[in-house]
Amino acid sequence: MRPAESKTEKWGLLTVALIMVVLLPSLNAFTPAGTFLHVSNFSINLYGKYLCYAILAISVDLLWGYTGMLSLGQALFFTLGGYMMGMYLMRMIGNLGQYHQPIPDFLVFLGWGTLPTFWKPFSSFPFAILMAFLLPGVVAAIFGFLAFHSRIRGVYFSILTQALTYAACLLFFRNSLLLGGNNGFTDFKFILGYDLRSPGTQRGLYIATALALVLVYLGCRWLSRTKFGLVQQAIRDSENRVLFSGYAAGYYKLFVFVLCAFIAALGGILYVPQVGIINPGEMGTEKSLEAVVWVAVGGRGTLIGPVLGAIFINALKSWTTRAYPDMWLLILGTLFILVTVFMPKGIVGLPGQLRSLHGRFRPKSAPAPAASTEPKPEMAKTK
Amino acid sequence: MKSKLCKWLGACATLLLAFNAMAADTIKVGILHSLSGTMAISETSLRDMLLFAFDEINAAGGIKVGDKSYMIEPVIVDGASNWPLFAEKAKQLLEEDKVAVVFGCWTSVSRKSVLPVFEKDNGMLFYPVQYEGEELSRNIFYTAEAVNQQATPAVDYLLAQGKKKFYLIGTDYVYPQTTNLILYKYLLLHGIKLEDIGGGLRKDDSGKVISAGKYTPFGHTDYQQIVAEIKQFAAGGDACVVNTINGDSNVPFFKEVAAAGLTPADCPVVSFSLAEDELRALPTKDLVGELGCWTYFMSIKSKDNKAFLKRWDGWLKTEDHPGVVKEKRAVDSPMVLSYDGVYLWKEAVEKAGSFDVDKVRETLESGSISFEGPGGKNTMQKNHHTTKNVYIGDTRADGQFKILKTFMGVQGEPFLLKDLDEKLSAMK
Amino acid sequence: MSWRVSCQNGCSLRLMGRSGCSAPRLFMNLAPKLLVWLLSGGIFFGCFSARADNTPDSDIRQKLVQAIQSDGQAQQQLLNELAESGAKIVHDVLTAWIREGVYLYDGPDGSKIPVILDDQLDPEGKARAIRIIDGQFIKDASGKELRFASADLNTAETDMRLRSSVQQSMDTLALSAPNPEERNSAVLKLGNSQKPRYIPILQARLTKETVTAVRRSIDEAIALLQLADPDPKMEIAAAQHLAELKSIGALANIKSLMNKPGCPLDVVKACRGAVQVIDNHIAFVNFIGTIFHGLSLGSILLVVALGLAITFGLMGIINMAHGEMIAVGAYTCYVVQNIFGSGFGFSITLPISFGGKMIQFGLHIPGLNATGWWFESYFLFAIPLSFLMAALAGLAIERTVIRFLYRRPLESLLATWGISLVMQQLFRMVFGANNVQVNSPSWLLGHFSLNDVTFDYNRVFVIVFAILIVIGTWLLLTKTPLGLLIRAVMQNRAMASSLGVRTARVNMLTFSFGSGLAGLAGAFLSQIGNVGPSLGQTYIVDSFMTVVLGGVGSIVGTVCSAFGIGTADEVLQQTTGSPVTGKIVVLVGIILFLQWKPGGLFASRSRSLD
Repeated sequence: MRPAESKTEKWGLLTVALIMVVLLPSLNAFTPAGTFLHVSNFSINLYGKYLCYAILAISVDLLWGYTGMLSLGQALFFTLGGYMMGMYLMRMIGNLGQYHQPIPDFLVFLGWGTLPTFWKPFSSFPFAILMAFLLPGVVAAIFGFLAFHSRIRGVYFSILTQALTYAACLLFFRNSLLLGGNNGFTDFKFILGYDLRSPGTQRGLYIATALALVLVYLGCRWLSRTKFGLVQQAIRDSENRVLFSGYAAGYYKLFVFVLCAFIAALGGILYVPQVGIINPGEMGTEKSLEAVVWVAVGGRGTLIGPVLGAIFINALKSWTTRAYPDMWLLILGTLFILVTVFMPKGIVGLPGQLRSLHGRFRPKSAPAPAASTEPKPEMAKTK
Repeated sequence: MKSKLCKWLGACATLLLAFNAMAADTIKVGILHSLSGTMAISETSLRDMLLFAFDEINAAGGIKVGDKSYMIEPVIVDGASNWPLFAEKAKQLLEEDKVAVVFGCWTSVSRKSVLPVFEKDNGMLFYPVQYEGEELSRNIFYTAEAVNQQATPAVDYLLAQGKKKFYLIGTDYVYPQTTNLILYKYLLLHGIKLEDIGGGLRKDDSGKVISAGKYTPFGHTDYQQIVAEIKQFAAGGDACVVNTINGDSNVPFFKEVAAAGLTPADCPVVSFSLAEDELRALPTKDLVGELGCWTYFMSIKSKDNKAFLKRWDGWLKTEDHPGVVKEKRAVDSPMVLSYDGVYLWKEAVEKAGSFDVDKVRETLESGSISFEGPGGKNTMQKNHHTTKNVYIGDTRADGQFKILKTFMGVQGEPFLLKDLDEKLSAMK
Repeated sequence: MSWRVSCQNGCSLRLMGRSGCSAPRLFMNLAPKLLVWLLSGGIFFGCFSARADNTPDSDIRQKLVQAIQSDGQAQQQLLNELAESGAKIVHDVLTAWIREGVYLYDGPDGSKIPVILDDQLDPEGKARAIRIIDGQFIKDASGKELRFASADLNTAETDMRLRSSVQQSMDTLALSAPNPEERNSAVLKLGNSQKPRYIPILQARLTKETVTAVRRSIDEAIALLQLADPDPKMEIAAAQHLAELKSIGALANIKSLMNKPGCPLDVVKACRGAVQVIDNHIAFVNFIGTIFHGLSLGSILLVVALGLAITFGLMGIINMAHGEMIAVGAYTCYVVQNIFGSGFGFSITLPISFGGKMIQFGLHIPGLNATGWWFESYFLFAIPLSFLMAALAGLAIERTVIRFLYRRPLESLLATWGISLVMQQLFRMVFGANNVQVNSPSWLLGHFSLNDVTFDYNRVFVIVFAILIVIGTWLLLTKTPLGLLIRAVMQNRAMASSLGVRTARVNMLTFSFGSGLAGLAGAFLSQIGNVGPSLGQTYIVDSFMTVVLGGVGSIVGTVCSAFGIGTADEVLQQTTGSPVTGKIVVLVGIILFLQWKPGGLFASRSRSLD
């Protein structure tokens, strides 16, 4: 199992957390614009978005890297959380919309005169937050119960989660659902009375996101070291042995699945006020796949990997869509292929890989490439 | 082969020289379109047209502000058909690149997603694609067709041709929903019976109609049932179809229409999201006679248009921008409206003597800025929409429209629903 | 490419529906000879034609010219007269007219001479012009034949109203068309016109008509026209007759008659009865139609998923690039079509500058400029080529990426997704971001109707095609040595390897075979849908659903689930009236079904415990 962490690791984590939570926002707030050290409002906002994605990536990794369940539907929970938050933010616009009416613009658009009943309680922030966790949780619980009850695993689980997201995506695209259809929610103005457009609010949201990420990280780290975490990893390595040992693996999996839905929803809640839009496109199958790729690139089965992967890939995407608008898919696609084939342990595993490669090339004869020498990796994951 | 190479080399050299000579004064201008993802099929052409307009302006000496000329330096970003990414890219263009103006967006949702950004950072966006109206932002200029510059003239035409039954079909998003709702009310006002408006109605709790027509999701490919339904609807004669299906799904829809033998002579389809650029992907020889309504057709026989098309073809042969496809190109209304937008902005900047957004906006709102574009004269109105000519045409086997009717100088009016509601209740 | 219709026999052999537009091309080669023969000997032709008429040909030509040059009432009158003449030349000129194929040539004396262009083009794309008035070519002063491009001449203007009256004249004319289907549609159009003046024409035709289907239509049309009769007894009889005929087209007319204020009670009663009968008929038609649509959607799913049933089902690779293999097939179709046509070319500019100049490269394949049946046959060549190209692409992917991932199936998902992104972008660079145009050959266009249910040819073809490739795949897997090896390797790679099977080679062949099947699907989808860079994305989720529902590794299961999903989707679409609701219900249904049978419809049985 994981070796007892060294002091350097502890200090390293603390430093990173401090940089994220304290240093970057202070540089944004207290240095004058245009100076070398200044972190612009745009950047802070962008980093906030990356960190939300990092939270989503952790939820994918907890399922895939730690429990061996590859979910292609995590974006569903992320977006559901976002939608609930979005409904609250829509209510907070008040009558500052295009039509200056007390109900959201798109409803006026569709000819509604009054607020539909299910929209009413969303004026309350606590209720919206409650729903933002409850709804994904309930969906995950029902789906998870059914799936684990009938022992659906492996590829079947992946494809079914994909079908679930796809169905939900189609549903949310419908205008008759009264959740904005394809346009979704946008043009938010206030959150808890603060103006969303002011840099201060955005900074606050960033700090909240960074804190949330640190907490989620610590929580997951703690969980993976408890007995529960050990069972969880045992399920990944050999579910049948766990079953034969008398553990109800299904319930362990259900718990992890619901927990991951909560984590993803948390990411979604923080995501919406920072990017200022939520729509069904976010639920599409592609977003979930992307999240899996972040984890794979960062290194699955570790907790720092998904965070690194999410930030790295999204930063790369932000940069390439500006620098190489016609080529960026080629760049990213090639990167995914190379990482999968040559770096099965992702960025986190890279130092180890380099070390072994270095060690291997010192003797005269070089054996086969790294990928093919790995012994049955599904069984022997990074411990 | 050799001469072609020489030509390219020559063109590149001149471009390079032009850049070097003028490198001192440039002004950054943003292009915000989807170059990948589902919307790339439509938006990439707009990027190409904008690059053409910029190259043309630069070759003619750039934009003259005061006694200085500025060369346009395009900043291209890819929105990737991802709406949060559109918002991020808009922010990047305005806050990091500090562009003077942005040309971009296609779908309503992309415009809605960048709107708060433009309002917050006081940017300026030119939006070139027909849209549902019901919006007026001080930071957006809509060179696009409003509903009264496309949908209602087309329906007027069909009514004049003696059509009595209208089947409404569209993709399920805000533009078709709103357009069809407007048309539903418009048709009732013009004496069409409720049962002769096909596609189905949806009502809210109080029984008020909130949605008219049949809707399919984005990227829908199976139109068998719907075409069978239209065939039954049209069996009694004098019927037509009003089609607001978005780009991609038009191909399976029309292929089904052609295969099922629903001929334009029996039941014409008038489409609002189908221009020459999209017709390139359709089996046009089987669709001769279907209708379209835009503010520009490639087949306009004016001198301006012919010269414009010649310049465009010439540019395509010599340009060397990455990603621009040279073969089999068409020009259509959204492209030309992008082009018009660039010139309207240039005109306003030169008149205002500044790139400052507030000053340029003031000049544009004055109503004195107009441009003789390929499709006729465009004048920017106070309400950020433009006055332009509206053309109705039918498709020909070569993928072009033949113009059947022209409405000169139609003013753009974004807010139609309220007025129609009042008229309808007055009629009752 | 502008429309040129020549006065030739080709036109009269038009098929029903749209197929006619390209049929004349079949007669390209015959055209010049026939043309001269026809035009110079119009009277002669008239005597032999089925509809002998008494008006001399020059008279008709005169009237045609007048009709083209006049307008308003006079034009209408002339058109009516022409319609009754029944002459072949009228049909041909009118057809050309509504397709913008009649031009006005400015004569030396300033007069406007209506002409049509010859079908025979010279290398510059120009053709000789034929005077409608006497069928002679336009010559200059020295007697040399002049040649024109369509853009050089002014078209004789038409608007929608004129075209519809021309169309009406042609309908009357078409009552005696040689093709029964053409007669049929002409009859129905007259019936819908609600103009009782057509009754005598139709009745006259009824006495001559021999084909049962057309007789039935004439009967229906007459009843429809009688419905507009002021006499209530006539109306009742007509309504009852229409009920007997189960005429869908008459439904609206009957309903409006019934709701007309002051309509006598017994007429209302008769109408109500008729409406009920017709409504029942519509329900029946919809039922059969839905089943057919379901089968055709099912076949599409089947064709699309079959390749995946091999690469994912048998080999266990979660192949997210499957959709792009489909796109390879579809684009192959496009390229083959262009090579048969005017040629294919592309050029790419890379955003990398080299010595101050962007790197550009391109390719141009000259076209064969085929026409007629030769062009139409492009699809027959495209089908095997689509298979081949996709199989080659699959081979390349297997060799470079997938062979490293056989032991990491979940990770194959990521690599293939990367491949899919790269390929989409490559499509954009080569073919442009827009969708491209793939024309269906005329033998795939059009439809036939049985008892009011429409069957499209391409849909029928896809069903047959799906059945054929399933049989082919099944034969390959079960009856050939290669199939045996494939099954052995897929069941137990290590065991097969130790028995001397060259597993690497089998893997390679299997994957490229699966990819090739996806390419075939692409060739097919090009006939009914978009061909564009994101074509594959549309079908990827559906394909996986189909394979998983059928049971991974079972071809029979894939077949059953494809048809099951297709039919369920169409039935739900029909009953809920919304395409989306149908799809959502199907997806949720699949999720629930798999709870009950986690291995899919036909789960492969195994004693091993994974």
